[in-house]
Amino acid sequence: MTKKNKSAIQRRLIPTYIFLSIVSLISVFPLYWMISAATNTSTDVSRGRLLPGSHFMENFRNLTTQQPLWRALGNSFFYAILTTVICLLVCSIAGYGFEIYHDKGKDMLFSILLLAMMIPQVATMVPLFQMFSKAKLLNTSIGFILPIISTPFMIMMFRQNARAFPVDIIEAARIDGLNEVQIFFRMFIPTMKSTYAAAAVITFMNAWNSYLWPKVIMTDNNAMTMPMLIANLITGYVTDYGMLMCGVLFCSIPTMIVFFVLQKQFAEGITGAVK
Amino acid sequence: MFSGKGGIFLNSKKKGMTLVAKQRLAGWTFLTPATILIAIMSFYPMVRAFIVSLQTGAGANMRFAEPIFKNYQRILADKVFQQSIVNTFLYLLIQVPIMLVLAILLAQLLNNKDLKFRGFFRTCVFLPCATSLVSYSLIFRSMFATDGLVNSILIKLGILETGYNFLGNSASAKIVIILALIWRWTGYNMVFYLAGLQNIEYSVYEAAKIDGANGWKTFWKITVPLLKPTIIMTFIMSINGTLQLFDESVNLTKGGPANSTITMSHYVYNTCFINVPNFGYAAAMSFLIFIMVAILAFINLKVGDTRD
Amino acid sequence: MKKRIFTALLTGAMVVSMTGAMAVPVAAEGDNKLTVWAWDQNFNIKAMEIAGEQYAKDHEGFELEVIETSSDDCQTKLTTAANAGDYSTLPDIVLMQDNSFQKFLKTYPDAFTDVSDMGINWDDFGALKQSYSMVDDKHYGVPFDNGAVIGCYRTDILKEAGYTIEDLTDITWSRFKEIGMDVHEKTGKYLLTSEANGGDTMMMMIQSCGANFVDENGEPFIAGNETAAKCVELYTDLVKNNVVKLVNNWDEYISTITSGEAAGIVNGNWITATLMGTEDQKGLWEITTMPKVDDVETATNYANNGGSSWYITSNCQNVDLAKDFLASTFGSSTEFYDAILPATGAISCYLPAGESEVYNEPNEFFNGQPIFSTIVEYSSHIPEFTKTPFHYEARECVNTAVVNIVNGTAQEDALQEAQDTLAFKMTE
Repeated sequence: MTKKNKSAIQRRLIPTYIFLSIVSLISVFPLYWMISAATNTSTDVSRGRLLPGSHFMENFRNLTTQQPLWRALGNSFFYAILTTVICLLVCSIAGYGFEIYHDKGKDMLFSILLLAMMIPQVATMVPLFQMFSKAKLLNTSIGFILPIISTPFMIMMFRQNARAFPVDIIEAARIDGLNEVQIFFRMFIPTMKSTYAAAAVITFMNAWNSYLWPKVIMTDNNAMTMPMLIANLITGYVTDYGMLMCGVLFCSIPTMIVFFVLQKQFAEGITGAVK
Repeated sequence: MFSGKGGIFLNSKKKGMTLVAKQRLAGWTFLTPATILIAIMSFYPMVRAFIVSLQTGAGANMRFAEPIFKNYQRILADKVFQQSIVNTFLYLLIQVPIMLVLAILLAQLLNNKDLKFRGFFRTCVFLPCATSLVSYSLIFRSMFATDGLVNSILIKLGILETGYNFLGNSASAKIVIILALIWRWTGYNMVFYLAGLQNIEYSVYEAAKIDGANGWKTFWKITVPLLKPTIIMTFIMSINGTLQLFDESVNLTKGGPANSTITMSHYVYNTCFINVPNFGYAAAMSFLIFIMVAILAFINLKVGDTRD
Repeated sequence: MKKRIFTALLTGAMVVSMTGAMAVPVAAEGDNKLTVWAWDQNFNIKAMEIAGEQYAKDHEGFELEVIETSSDDCQTKLTTAANAGDYSTLPDIVLMQDNSFQKFLKTYPDAFTDVSDMGINWDDFGALKQSYSMVDDKHYGVPFDNGAVIGCYRTDILKEAGYTIEDLTDITWSRFKEIGMDVHEKTGKYLLTSEANGGDTMMMMIQSCGANFVDENGEPFIAGNETAAKCVELYTDLVKNNVVKLVNNWDEYISTITSGEAAGIVNGNWITATLMGTEDQKGLWEITTMPKVDDVETATNYANNGGSSWYITSNCQNVDLAKDFLASTFGSSTEFYDAILPATGAISCYLPAGESEVYNEPNEFFNGQPIFSTIVEYSSHIPEFTKTPFHYEARECVNTAVVNIVNGTAQEDALQEAQDTLAFKMTE
């Protein structure tokens, strides 16, 4: 491609750049505000000050002396990573199973499974709590992750994406003597990297932010996660907005990093290598 | 493109029954762990919740209602819940189409190989859904306050003379909620479209370009049809998410002014945890929500699924 | 290779989660340990910790663990556990908002312990304060922080309009309206700020008359209730005449104060902690009584809003220890209250505490007023009224009515609708 061609293409993309810049600006503004608020005093935040201030260290010190920030970050990472790894494995293999080997029975089962996400959590919380208390799983990590590792949504995502998985790969692999499990692990997983990356981002984010259920079953100070820490910051008679925003910043950054690291995977074509 | 799938079975059949049986077994094995988990973690509690929806009282004093569908009849007399149904469907009808079209559009733009700073733009667009709910609701509330940023801008531009109380009027409070939802979830949906777009070969676009199709035409004729499985999925997710909408109503407006922005799930939550607990009635309302989502989702699946 | 890493990672994760599951003990109670739920690090948690330290001095081996649980979360956890019939996740002692206790006791009577016999002089707490945690003459809780309502005003803004704090002391709401309109005209500021959704101003007004939006049998009493009608009329009148700045949420509420848009605030005295955060307004604020409702015989200048009490749950394995602990700290020790006041600013409802020197110290932020003893004094005048488990429902119905009236609905219709909605919510 010649230089002239390139600059012509870029010129044609100018409206796109402008549009994307506006969208980005609107998207990023609250993040900017959050960072700036974390550096201001509570009174300044409440007065709507937009410029960064010089109170970050003070807010940060208040936060770490009042709340177990590092423990909460550690716990949140532990739960989110554990959930993501198990959820991706369980749901992708199920989505693959539903699509690649689909027949009437499995389609029907899939439709039934979909129903599981359609009822408000409030309704099932008490029965679930009873079940976990009978199984002695209250206050345990297993109790934390068990309800969120198999979600109809993730299964659906893998199932829909598996439609694009080329059949001839499976055929070829079978001729090469691979069994069905090997095909999944050696062919499907590497091919569907982009889907896995997107699923990982979403699952990580959901697990990181999960609040109601963990709060209900965890009664230990040591089990505190970031969303619980944030909730503790807004509950008193006095809200220190500067400190709150400092905490919120620490709660938001990990998901952003995970996204930033994984986004290349689902946006840079890698399927080509297999095709 | 999708019709090739049935071929597996035809081919396999030729190779003999044992292979088909093996594959069928493999298929069922693959989906067993997930199915068992969902059965225990979701369906069993749902059955229990249905039983609760036929009961009144609380805690140890739960007893079956007389008549048995009393809690469901109560819905017919509950004006606030009916208001919440209207509110929720309004959000659904206005917000979901705008958001999904915007998300596909952004995914399409960001999938262009010639575009520079793609990673940066992508991250920016995704950021809103990674931003903590607390800060996002704080900033939306302060931006739309009577002396907030939006009012200052509108006054400077001469559109308004004095600050307008956006969150204090029922119509504008609904609009703020819709804007907030679009802001927060467009990037989230874009992620699925970006992943889905990877499955469309770039050569398809090249071919379209050679055929003289413009960007708009390519978008509707190639991108949208090929993304169909993903679009169906995001539609179902959005219907489900909107009908169970909770965060925005609680955090932005507390359902006010005068219940004009309250959502169904927010009302159900209040029934359990803010007001004197009535889990039987809350379960009954939850099942109504469940039925509404299920009907809409299956219409969606039937209309959209052209595979078979 | 990749697969192996993945498998290793997964196994690792599984193992960790298993051990994690086994390592967590089931709330095994030591003989000398109490667990507590409370929600504000600088306030009730600190007070509880000081109580624990004091008690440990005389009781060797006593241990206290405070688990920070926001008041909303406390309600959610309690409701879920109680409805599941499993109290094992509850602590020994729980702090609860005074306005929500009646609903919990009505719904889950077996979740709390009767503490009437814990050996403290209950009358050392004001009659009203006791009544929040009482049902059928039985005591279930030890009152903690004081919710006596105060009016706080910016004296500099009042001065600009030609008024002093005395002009706002012991007045009626209609006089308040006159002053407010004058202040708004001369300074452009509002004399009062109030929350439209979930706000408490209406509740404070009616309770200052010793009345409520329910009658003595607990039935809804909004339509046809002259006191209620008078309160609603006065309040909507204030809103329409630019005396009250009606805001949508708590942030805006605080912001009207910090930005100096509002010259006054009427709320439970715990609001002083927030005001004191605005350091550049130091010395400008003074407190006095709230206005009283006109033309109502029982009307007073005193009410209560907020505040909380300590309760012993039925999961407590060592009730005697918990009772003795609460009785000898929160229930009877002026020394204890003297110790927590400077550390936390928690103003007690334990009336004898108000007489001590610590309580009579002048407060610089409030222009040298001895606000602590003043507030304790106010709290002894607050009239009693009929409590209802449906407090939040009543508040929501009335706030909805107020919004509708301000938007043009006839008062009578709006109140009738509130009455019907509340009646509906009270039926099962």
